[in-house]
Amino acid sequence: MAKEKKRRINAVSVPTEILIHIAMILFCALCIVPFILVIIISFTSGESITEKGYSFFPNSWSLESYKYAFEMGYVLWRSYFNSFFITVVGTVASVLVCALYSYSLSRKDFKYRNFFTFFSFFTMLFGGGLVPTFVVTKQLLGLHDSYAAVIIPLMVNPFNFIVMRTFFQTSVPDELIEAAAIDGSGEYNTLFKIVFPVAKPGIATIALLNAIAYWNEWFIPMLYLRNDVKHMPLQHLLVSMQRDVEFLAKNAAMMGAEASKAMQGTSTQALRMVLVVLAVVPIACAYPFFQRYIVAGLTIGSVKG
Amino acid sequence: MKQKKLLALLLSAAMVTTMFAGCGAKEETAAPAADTTTETAEATDDAAETAAPEENKFADHVTLKWYLHGSNVSDDAAVLEKVNEYLNEKINADLQPIWGTWGDFDEGATLAINGGDDVDIYFTCSWSADEYNKYAKQGAWVRLDDPSNNLIDQYGSDVWAALPQVLKDGAVTDGAAGTGVYAVPGFKDFGTQNTWDVNVTLLEELGYTLADVESRDFYSFGDLLAAAKEAKGDDFYPLVIEGAVLERMVTNSIIVNGDTAGVLSYYLDPKDVSNDIGSKVVNKFGTDEYAKFANQVREYYLAGYIDPALANGGTANDTLVAQQNAANYLIGTQSYALGYEYTTSAARGIHVEYVPCTDPYVDKTATQGAMMAISTASKNPERAMAFLNLLNTDPYLMMLLEYGVEGTHYTLDDNGLVVFNDDARATYSPWRNGMGNITLLTPTADEGVDFFTDTFVPYYTNAKAIPAFGYSFVPTSVENELASLANVQAQYALSIDCGSVDPATALPEFLEKLDANGIQTVVDEANAQLDAYFAAN
Repeated sequence: MAKEKKRRINAVSVPTEILIHIAMILFCALCIVPFILVIIISFTSGESITEKGYSFFPNSWSLESYKYAFEMGYVLWRSYFNSFFITVVGTVASVLVCALYSYSLSRKDFKYRNFFTFFSFFTMLFGGGLVPTFVVTKQLLGLHDSYAAVIIPLMVNPFNFIVMRTFFQTSVPDELIEAAAIDGSGEYNTLFKIVFPVAKPGIATIALLNAIAYWNEWFIPMLYLRNDVKHMPLQHLLVSMQRDVEFLAKNAAMMGAEASKAMQGTSTQALRMVLVVLAVVPIACAYPFFQRYIVAGLTIGSVKG
Repeated sequence: MKQKKLLALLLSAAMVTTMFAGCGAKEETAAPAADTTTETAEATDDAAETAAPEENKFADHVTLKWYLHGSNVSDDAAVLEKVNEYLNEKINADLQPIWGTWGDFDEGATLAINGGDDVDIYFTCSWSADEYNKYAKQGAWVRLDDPSNNLIDQYGSDVWAALPQVLKDGAVTDGAAGTGVYAVPGFKDFGTQNTWDVNVTLLEELGYTLADVESRDFYSFGDLLAAAKEAKGDDFYPLVIEGAVLERMVTNSIIVNGDTAGVLSYYLDPKDVSNDIGSKVVNKFGTDEYAKFANQVREYYLAGYIDPALANGGTANDTLVAQQNAANYLIGTQSYALGYEYTTSAARGIHVEYVPCTDPYVDKTATQGAMMAISTASKNPERAMAFLNLLNTDPYLMMLLEYGVEGTHYTLDDNGLVVFNDDARATYSPWRNGMGNITLLTPTADEGVDFFTDTFVPYYTNAKAIPAFGYSFVPTSVENELASLANVQAQYALSIDCGSVDPATALPEFLEKLDANGIQTVVDEANAQLDAYFAAN
């Protein structure tokens, strides 16, 4: 009974809480279990995979795939470095573009805000299609075989603009900007010294979204880098290994003996899982850094009341 | 309001221009190519008159971009340095390969072609997404034997002389610039031969010999399979098959080039593949041979000789590869390539032999297995042709591009055979059959000194062409029927081919559905085209 009294007023009943907990635990398990399986497979020996398939309890363990991965040397480390480089530079650049663009849109005294809102929003509804995009990016803008070819196409994201614009509108009061102006602050000073600190949670959210987008991108590198090892990110290396195997399996009937021969040269399942682990760990480590801002961002609305 | 209208107008204008940008770029790039062809035509006229030395034609230095398939290359610097040194001297050009991989090639290459990218030479063939015949028709490839500007005569006479006639015939297609040759075929294994993949190690354990397989056929394998099943237990499935391949092997039928639904068959004479047994295209599933095959495979399935996972499209491939690699089979199906028994014996750790069902035969699909086409977007089609000519006739260049630098990527042993340096080859192994004329290569130590001269070349040059060799079904008029037939086929064919359903009930049902979806229209159209082909030849 005493316990019952300590419960907060907004607490739900015990059975409901138990239900919610079970649902949440199940949901977390759904997210985590596959990853645990991936880690286990990456330590499983090749024979065990052939005999037993993917299993949480393999017949035999092995470090062979990790050894092989680290012996890949240049290709692996170069792509690892590329992933970091693209993610860091890309995130900084895209957050800057996003903040500048959406801050302008959030200002009611900006004359063309409706036009520019629609201008970016329109691209969310209608894309140019793959071939025209390719022609513009590669032939017209000359973006290929360089880091810029991977960073620039992802730099402008209308969805983030709209999220950020709304965030500026709701969390930065107009009075604050007016007060700054009265105190003699210029536009850039107001933006960087006054608005940005207030909008930190929103910027952190956008930064995380962009970082994940850059880290996970493999399609754009595939189109514009075309296996140029110097600039290729880790995700592309991983996806192309996976796609090689899929392609050969799919075309086995058409290619006959040739496919089986080529199959010998492709990566093993355990090796691909090693790369998955290598690709997931760094970005998983990024979450704690951003987490407190995101939580703050989620609760900020209610604080304002 | 006014502003809004203006805005809408502006945006729709922007959209329309971007939409057309894709097409526009292509036309633009096609135009200079046409200009250069007329120029070179004049240039060659001049050359004929004044007998100018060949170097004059290649006075300006160019870079050739070359899109390849199936590569495993991450470091080509050492090779390219030597290649470019050599090519600079020969044709005043640098080479810039784009090492397409198995997984990326289809998307990358089709996008580059449709986007009018500045790639000079593309890998193309009958099975990749930049399919040779389709893109020839679309105008993506330069016609090489164009009567008004015959690149083969001018720059590629050597490679043309080196190729077997059947490959040259197979390269003829009905393209945008008339019926002719649109790509240089690679001299690689182009014969098709379906074989029984026999686990000889297990066979001998059971007290049989290879001769026991050779003297039997599919309908009399029963006792061998029973013995294996008994010896190895219930979880062992002695017959590891690919349903569609098995069906073709047993009924002696082949794929009809252009049949996207997999419902047509063309029957061969198993004793002599070039013998015309009344050439006709038929509904694959409607023949007596098929019914007989289906009953037999059902019997084997019920006896537990076939893994049920092989009858399921989702698991068939993985199971097949896993069982083969683990040597968990007695008899399997395999489309054969010369020397394949050595590869698989080593990989599976058993003695593998391949017992042929027929002699090797040549059809158009196989001759178009690996080709190099010059893009109409290329600014230097003459130089590209000169490069392909050199690549397919010059052993030094071919060795360099395929095997790498001597001393770095490979060494020669006492017999002058290639021994690979595995470390260096790990970063440079292009796909051999996707390169060109592989008979120029020095054999590897595994293959032996006489591999190409005594084994490879005779095997393939003696392979006979099927009676309807040049025929390929153009299904444009029956595409709707083919699309719905493909659905019906996907529903029934694999399970009947593997025996997981009873043909007594499933086959009539299947045939009825094929009829309802217009199989007869497709068969009639295919036969009309076949008759027209024979009448023309």
